Amino acid sequence: MTQGSRLTPYLYVAPLVALLLFVFGYPLVRIFEFSFKMVRGIDGPWIGLRNYDLVLSQSLFWESVQHNLLLLLAVPFMVIWSLLIAVVLYERLKGWKLYRVVLFLPYILAIPIIAVIMKKMFQFNGPVNEVLRWIGLDFLALDWIGSSDVALWTVMLLIIWRESALGIILFLARLLALDESLIESAKLEGANWWQRLWHIIVPQMKTVIEFYVVVSVITILSAVFAYVYVIGGGRGGPGTSTMVVELYIFNALIRTSLPGIASAVSVMLFLVSLLLIVPLFAMRRRANEEEMG
Amino acid sequence: MNRNGFGGISRRQMLKAGAALGAGAVAGGLPSLAARADTPELTMWWWGEQELPGLQAFVDESVKAYTAATVKPMLQDTAVVISQFQTAAAAGEAPDIQYLWNGIYHMESVWLGYVKPLNGLVKDEVITSSNPTLLSRYGGNIYRLGWYPLPMVWIYNKDLYDKAGLDADNPPKTWDELLAAAEKLKSAGISPIGGGIQDGYWGEWFAGHGFAQNVDSAGEIVDLFTGEKDFREPRYHAHWVKLEELKKAGFLNPEISSTELYPGIDLIVAGKVATGLSIGSRLPADSKATGGRIGVMPMPVYGPGKMAGKPILDTQGIGISAGSKNPEAAAAFLEYLNSPERLKAFYDKTGWLPANVNFDLSVVEDASVRDMWQRWGLSENIPYLGNLVPGQFYEQALLPAAQQVVEGKITGEQAGELAYNVAKEWREFNPDIVENYKTWAVDLAG
Repeated sequence: MTQGSRLTPYLYVAPLVALLLFVFGYPLVRIFEFSFKMVRGIDGPWIGLRNYDLVLSQSLFWESVQHNLLLLLAVPFMVIWSLLIAVVLYERLKGWKLYRVVLFLPYILAIPIIAVIMKKMFQFNGPVNEVLRWIGLDFLALDWIGSSDVALWTVMLLIIWRESALGIILFLARLLALDESLIESAKLEGANWWQRLWHIIVPQMKTVIEFYVVVSVITILSAVFAYVYVIGGGRGGPGTSTMVVELYIFNALIRTSLPGIASAVSVMLFLVSLLLIVPLFAMRRRANEEEMG
Repeated sequence: MNRNGFGGISRRQMLKAGAALGAGAVAGGLPSLAARADTPELTMWWWGEQELPGLQAFVDESVKAYTAATVKPMLQDTAVVISQFQTAAAAGEAPDIQYLWNGIYHMESVWLGYVKPLNGLVKDEVITSSNPTLLSRYGGNIYRLGWYPLPMVWIYNKDLYDKAGLDADNPPKTWDELLAAAEKLKSAGISPIGGGIQDGYWGEWFAGHGFAQNVDSAGEIVDLFTGEKDFREPRYHAHWVKLEELKKAGFLNPEISSTELYPGIDLIVAGKVATGLSIGSRLPADSKATGGRIGVMPMPVYGPGKMAGKPILDTQGIGISAGSKNPEAAAAFLEYLNSPERLKAFYDKTGWLPANVNFDLSVVEDASVRDMWQRWGLSENIPYLGNLVPGQFYEQALLPAAQQVVEGKITGEQAGELAYNVAKEWREFNPDIVENYKTWAVDLAG
């Protein structure tokens, strides 16, 4: 192969690479740069690690991190719930295709839409509490979005409900691609529903479950802004009870005119997300190798 | 500054003038077209249609009718009113005329050097009559004209007061009178006080009223952020203690924590809560909806400060960018917006009052609106001190503290402690801005 022919493929992709570098690379470099500056307006003086120092010593930041970590508790629920529903649908109940559409519906609706509806539902005098009071369960009629003790769990409930839809569809797609003879054989040999699930289905779905877990963790660390923004009254409230890292960044950038602080937190969030994405790629590569070979 | 060597006229204007002269020669009308070529072009970024429907129609009509300059208006999105202006100003692309919220919401742009002082540019009489409020003053200069007012009021439902056996024409003037009235309302099965704090703004308004109770000047509030004064002193967090008192007495409506600000005000209009906080610009509609049964009052007095009990007037405003190439033309347009004819047009298009004290109040039919403007706009008033709060404090102390007091999570004293800590953090995050605040405190001390 000549020198020229070796370069040819790179020349073909060069425009796209340049575009990607401009669209993603340039802002990323600027964010890293801003994180070391006291930005006022569109630039400012270099202050070294001062922004990181300020952020890491602020209790609100750690509270936000803690809330993101608490929301991670949703992931096991999402996995189990999605898996169970996917398996039930796989059993091809009567009308399963309709159920599939209904279950996936939340996922195709924009988060602000469902969050606004949920917010109305969960108001202190909203429909959820009205029903609870009507059936005599007054003790369960909580101040779902108005109490610091409850609001984050309400957000989590909403996240589980919506984000599970993706899990259900992913798992169902994988189930439908499974070799049914294995499950049939297990049935013939007397394996019950749980045994088939645990010993046949789950092992075969290992990679897709891993994929869903990683995607869900990344979602909860860096893509729950819309949920919190709507349910938390745009402020991460009541108090700071639903403040998460993304909202912290938004507030620093838009509401408190601290782009340097927003950049420092963005850099940290980016690096944490990167730590999670790298194993995801490794998993995908391993899965591809398994399929190939 | 002459940046292009054409005596202050841009290259684009020179080309336009040349083209106009050529066309004029053909038409045989050189003098008139030369005059048209001199007509300056102004850009105006504004906001307000979102809170005052009809403002767009007023702006469009004003721009169309104005002949001394060609004004190109652009309605801004709420989320970017400040950032869009600051970014454009930093890039040298700021509009000539910019909408400016009051207090800190325009003062940061002033400190960045993006806003031009209006004194010496706009007639003094126009500046004063437009009600820019004290909060537009910095370093001895004034940076905004008032455009339309936002009287900050406590409102009450007269029907509910009647129902509880209270004198609806004489609402509580002191805190003790308020508590006594609340007790009677509660006994009558009526939620005495409240609204909605889920989005936090109710807490801002409550503090905005409460700040005035124990201070003698606006500068004293600024001192709380520079560290000269301390939120842990009882008088500086007394408003949160009063809020705690309302909570503990069971005077707040039970759904307050899960209800947003405006739906909360609707509860008062709908006769479900008796007393609460609102803004004057809602009064025309709320008064109409209740047949004139919504009353307004200042916050009942509990503090000994010189500002306690006085009507609070905030105004939305408008100013001139420091980067404007035609500041004189921009000033002339702002003066035009304050002409008697435009003030009348403002009311006709929006159904709300302009901030200018020269507005002929006799055209307003609703007696309660006239009465409110007489007391809040034309009599002695004080600025809205909530506008002095830095953004970081607003987000991390002002709103969360009130929410937590209302749900009984913290006490008023703990809210003061939280406020002190966040003010301290703000100084660490913004050492440069602290110096500006110190200068500002001098302007606001008067």
